[in-house]
Amino acid sequence: MTILDLQQGDRFKVKAVRIPREVGKRLADMGFVKGAEGRVVRSALLGDPLQIKICRYDVSIRRAEAAGVEVELSAVKREGVV
Amino acid sequence: MKKMITIALAGNPNTGKTTIFNSMTGSHQKVGNYAGVTVEKREGRCRYRGYDLHIYDLPGIYSLTAYSMDEVVARDFIIEEKPDVVIDVIDATNIARNLYLCLQFQELNVPVVAALNLNDEALAQGIDIDEKMLAEIIKIPVVKTVGINGKGISGLLDQVIDLVQKKERATYTISYGDELEEDVQAIITELVKDKDFALRYPLRWCAIRLIEKDARVRELIGEHASRDSVVRVVEARLTRIEEHFGREASLVVAEQRYGYIHGAVSEAVLHAPVNKETFTEVLDKVLLDRTVGLPVFIFILWAVFQMTFQLSVYPMLWIEAFFGWIGSLSIAFIPEGMLRSLVVDGVIAGVGGVLSFIPLIVFLFMFISILEDTGYMARAAFIMDKFLHIFGLHGQSFLPMILGFGCSVPAVMAARTLKNTRDRIITVMVTPFMSCGAKLPVYMLLAGAFFVGNSGNVVLSIYVIGVFLALLSSLFFRKTILRGDSTPFVMELPPYRMPTLKGILWHVREKTFRYLKKAGLVLLPASILIWAVTTFPRPVLDKAEVIQIEENVQVVKKQEALSQSYAGQLGRMMEPVLLPIGFDWKIGIAAITGFAAKEMVVSTLGVLYSVDADEDEKNDTLRDALRRDPHFSPLVAYVLMLFMLIVVPCFASMAAIYAEIGGRWLCFSVVFWLVLAWGVCFVVYQAGRIFGL
Repeated sequence: MTILDLQQGDRFKVKAVRIPREVGKRLADMGFVKGAEGRVVRSALLGDPLQIKICRYDVSIRRAEAAGVEVELSAVKREGVV
Repeated sequence: MKKMITIALAGNPNTGKTTIFNSMTGSHQKVGNYAGVTVEKREGRCRYRGYDLHIYDLPGIYSLTAYSMDEVVARDFIIEEKPDVVIDVIDATNIARNLYLCLQFQELNVPVVAALNLNDEALAQGIDIDEKMLAEIIKIPVVKTVGINGKGISGLLDQVIDLVQKKERATYTISYGDELEEDVQAIITELVKDKDFALRYPLRWCAIRLIEKDARVRELIGEHASRDSVVRVVEARLTRIEEHFGREASLVVAEQRYGYIHGAVSEAVLHAPVNKETFTEVLDKVLLDRTVGLPVFIFILWAVFQMTFQLSVYPMLWIEAFFGWIGSLSIAFIPEGMLRSLVVDGVIAGVGGVLSFIPLIVFLFMFISILEDTGYMARAAFIMDKFLHIFGLHGQSFLPMILGFGCSVPAVMAARTLKNTRDRIITVMVTPFMSCGAKLPVYMLLAGAFFVGNSGNVVLSIYVIGVFLALLSSLFFRKTILRGDSTPFVMELPPYRMPTLKGILWHVREKTFRYLKKAGLVLLPASILIWAVTTFPRPVLDKAEVIQIEENVQVVKKQEALSQSYAGQLGRMMEPVLLPIGFDWKIGIAAITGFAAKEMVVSTLGVLYSVDADEDEKNDTLRDALRRDPHFSPLVAYVLMLFMLIVVPCFASMAAIYAEIGGRWLCFSVVFWLVLAWGVCFVVYQAGRIFGL
């Protein structure tokens, strides 16, 4: 399961980043590392890019990158909570 | 004892770093560029406790990889300039990601002081940081600061001086866990064999970077005496790590680093559960809403555009009036002749031309920095990214392109927000296709003369064609010479914040000086050049002839002078190239003067068609004169409009383009614009003739 399979508002836990080289490394630098918790906040008008909350801040990534972030759905799902 | 201390000020973007820099240095600042790259280099100085502090404001970055020019510049500065201390500004609301950078400075073997900024915001979000505990864990002094009112700055500088005075430095760095540390040590053992290399570079940092597969550090290994064995060891270790962890080694390093940080944060930081939404989240629900977001964005854009150009109208007129006054003064004091002509038509007109853009730049960058400092700019890029990405552009390209409708000069300058060089070059090259304000008088004149009753639609069609050309050319460049992976759009959406007046004024001042410096150097000589080619060689007029036509003597003189000048000769020489696209030599001259400023095309046509003095677009006589010319037709007029749209932009823009993408790309762009302009005009003109227009 990747971020692309999630719905708006879903909370997730990162399992692995499956993008090679710089882009994957960039995502890791920005907080997408194994075990990091995040939430899908929304997507832009045409469904791309996505706004993700990770490590307590907001970041926007394209669907192409989101497809490479393997996640698992977190058990707790509370809307509107940071 | 050392009395001068160099400090590198570093930190993530949006941490209030610039505010801290300003409150430390006041007005003692210098702005330049790092050699060879368009990354701004800001330095300032201040005195504190008898020390002379030199502070270098490094670009805002997230990590010390070689991902962007900013990161390369920052780390090269630390390695090569070896500052005495790095002050790392940390956003207290987002401590984990900020520490990620902070700990990398520590690895570079340079003393680090952490400035914990934006604490009020953190407290409001229920984040309580025990800075003493944090300092103890990461072995870095942590000082709470409030950049806006300068609170905590002296405490910060005290720490800096303490660190410098300390005889022996603790060289603590975080541990990456037993497994990875073994690999790090093995690489260090190999690296340390070259004593010179060991003196030049921080070895532990190099070893970790090699595991992170950093291309630049791999290049550094080329300097190592036993590079082959280093490479062999690194490869072996990488294979081991990737087999053991089952993923890329670079990701393992990031994971371990974050793992360490989460440990530290969980001890030193108390996150109270917050059950209400933050201000940013509420505002985002509106501004990034799928239905409301786009209209709001378009409205904000429209408002910025309107305000900029409306507010600049009068100051621009004042500046022009002022130079008109200076011009008439010179006429009064300098006797008629070459010198007067040079001073009035060359120098004063040139300087006036440079300075008249200032109101535009001041207002535009005032609004831009408000949008940037509030955090909206990142949202705008978020909204526009998908559309622009289709054409190989980046979400952040929208701003320069939209600004291009006003004036290419600030538009090109705004392209600097694009971090990727390819994106910036493409954006700068296509920005002139967005018809600027100075092209409008030319369109209005031609459309008014040849498309009576339909001029609005005709002009609109030119604007639309411009937008399409911009998008299609960027797609073309993406697919040909500027190929490569599209830049990932991993962009922080910072919390909304109130901009400060000081910050905005500072930003505006900086942009204005940058423009003056660059444009002044190019525009003044250029306008003198244009003056020279339109003035020399001087016409010889028969005295009797002059008396005969005394009424029109001024006009005839000007007309004669232009047609016999080098510009006129050049126009005639170019006729073989111009005729296939429907232009005669007169249009050729007009186009040449258009290089100085697009609106000059109108005044040149005015001179050529013997229309006196007031040559603005409302002047019916020039329209009539154009209509009477058998060479002109609606088709020729439309082709001329297309030509003005596509051909090389004015000198001021070219100066700005030169500053942003350099001479080689400017030359390439000039060829591209000329070829495309001629090509499009040729196709349209010839097709028009076939259809009997």
